[in-house]
Amino acid sequence: MFTNILLCSHGTEGAKKAEVFVFGKLEADPGLRVTVLTVLDEDWREMTGDDWLNSSKTHTTFLDHVEEQMNEEIAEHWHRIKKDHPLAEGVKFLQRTGNIAETITKTAKELKCDLIVIGSWQKRPKFSIHSTGMSLRATMKNKELHPLLPCPLLIAP
Amino acid sequence: MSHMKEQVPTLIMGTLLIVYGLIVQSGALMPLTKYLHTHKTLDLQVTMTLIIGGIAIAGALVNAVRKPGNSNLDTFILQPLGGIVLILVMAMAIRWYAEPLMKIVSTNLQPILGFKIYKVLNLNYVVLGILAGVVLTNTWGIPKFAAPGVKCARFVLKMGVIMLGARYSFAELAKLGVYSVFLVGFFVLGIVFLVLWLGNIFKQPKSMTGVLSAGMGVCGVSATVAVAPVVKAKSAEMAYTIGTILSFGIICMFVFPTIGKLAGMSPVQFGAWAGTGILNSAQVAAAALAFNAVDIETLKVAEIFNITRVLFLPVIVLVLATWFGKETGQKLSFKSVVIDKFPVFIIGFLILFFLSSIGLFSPPSHYKGKYIDVSYNDRTQVTNEEWETLSSAAATGAFASLTPKQLEAVTNLIEHRQIAGNYEDRNDKKVFDRVGRARMTQLEGILAAAKAKQITLSADVKSAIKHAVKQVHKKSKTVVTLTDFMIWFFAFGLIGLGMQITKKAITQAGGWPIVMGVIAGVTKATLSFFVVLWLIKDVVLN
Repeated sequence: MFTNILLCSHGTEGAKKAEVFVFGKLEADPGLRVTVLTVLDEDWREMTGDDWLNSSKTHTTFLDHVEEQMNEEIAEHWHRIKKDHPLAEGVKFLQRTGNIAETITKTAKELKCDLIVIGSWQKRPKFSIHSTGMSLRATMKNKELHPLLPCPLLIAP
Repeated sequence: MSHMKEQVPTLIMGTLLIVYGLIVQSGALMPLTKYLHTHKTLDLQVTMTLIIGGIAIAGALVNAVRKPGNSNLDTFILQPLGGIVLILVMAMAIRWYAEPLMKIVSTNLQPILGFKIYKVLNLNYVVLGILAGVVLTNTWGIPKFAAPGVKCARFVLKMGVIMLGARYSFAELAKLGVYSVFLVGFFVLGIVFLVLWLGNIFKQPKSMTGVLSAGMGVCGVSATVAVAPVVKAKSAEMAYTIGTILSFGIICMFVFPTIGKLAGMSPVQFGAWAGTGILNSAQVAAAALAFNAVDIETLKVAEIFNITRVLFLPVIVLVLATWFGKETGQKLSFKSVVIDKFPVFIIGFLILFFLSSIGLFSPPSHYKGKYIDVSYNDRTQVTNEEWETLSSAAATGAFASLTPKQLEAVTNLIEHRQIAGNYEDRNDKKVFDRVGRARMTQLEGILAAAKAKQITLSADVKSAIKHAVKQVHKKSKTVVTLTDFMIWFFAFGLIGLGMQITKKAITQAGGWPIVMGVIAGVTKATLSFFVVLWLIKDVVLN
């Protein structure tokens, strides 16, 4: 039914379920086109909060570190997907930066996808920070994503 | 005029400011400003709104004709102009309308609530400014035209601290410096090691505890930003640490001044406590001004502690780099740790301090107290608590034994909250000054009579009158002008920084970082409270 799927994943437990769903479909239908999209939230740029004491040099070093760190974490994340799902070796991986809802829908339009798959909301373990992957704790709101959708959206249970 | 559309908001703000200035000049707002008790600032309101409105319109027109380039004028004035004007409009609206209105509403609600909201939450112009910034950024968001201007807040706040340098004497700086090095050194290192130990207990990664220990121990988000690259903190670790620090800091900003007042702390004690116990350096300045926004004693002390903390930052970066590098084999150069992390604005602060100390801003006679400022301005007012002490003393007949002239001076002091001439003489400077100085002499007479036990006044009343007299003795017009600018710079900077506190950043707080952060933050705040009360008793600021 669907031929071109955009799988949005940033490593959370919910996203992992979406990966299992999409690569299961790919196994059943090898002709399916799959793109894995990881969006780097643009709000990372504002993460210096109300810091005012540091020099611009220290600020730049921090932002460079954030960028380097995010790239490393995304590379690790994609490596993990390829390890967990060998079929992922043959799919396209994309990294974009911006507002999450806007970037997902814009990419789906650009790639002419006919289905967007995202993970479902999962309760986080209380005292673990690494279970969130590279996502920010504040999550994307449905009311931001839904009005922009160019194609059906599937939330993997 | 190809860029006119982008300049419309700035043009509108500029026009509104000029229209407002002209309305104020016409006297049409006199009844309203008298109701709000801001009529004494009318001259300032006219000057500020006309000048800023004029600059906004002229700058917007230049920007409409040509897009700002890369020159210093473009980068520092024309490009951020929209945001600068927006923050100034907010600062003026808060100082002249929101804060007085808050006081009036709080007073009217007191019979129902049993307390004054603005006193309990310390809702003065500084706190209201930060809150306005936080609310704006988290509701409508920062308007696109204002974004470059909002980023200027950091620079403006640094300028405020540099100007503060002119207000210290060698003796003050030496004495406060000793206290701050001792207290900050003890608590910075203590909390850094406490968090590292907690990280070990809770089995957290080294990068996590490293970045959190710097944030909790030294100066909040600023330390996190400086240390994160050194300990190779992961994205989630940075986000959780910043979220924890911002949340804790905002709570401290409200709680510290209230506790300080309840505990009867002096400005020096509170400044030292805030400068040691509050994590984020911007919130230290906010809490100090929330505790006492009328004069700047608290701010002076708090900023010395703030500066000392910042000077400790390279040391802590070095300690954490060594601790972290043991496992990773990472080596850092002296330049990347000490020189690159050194806050250059502190040199500006020291230069102003030095110039002020050698008397560059003040003729020698000013140091002998010959310069007396009895003009209307917020800077020379008594504090709200002192005003209430004097008002209730007058209501209970405590001034019955004063001479008619002394009583008139006290009544006028209560009415205007400061020693000043008559409002109707304000345009005749000579008469205005003469009357103001005569009232000051009468008040000094009251203090002398109380000292000679000719009359009996409570210690609080004597202290309030003494402070009123002290407030009008000024060192130098240059220093006073610098101070006035500095207060506006702090208001501007803190509104702008409020705009950079996003809900998204705050909601990152959670997991083990918040548990460790709360343990460390509460320990630091509680212990420093008792140590400051025990240690700091006798520092007198001029």
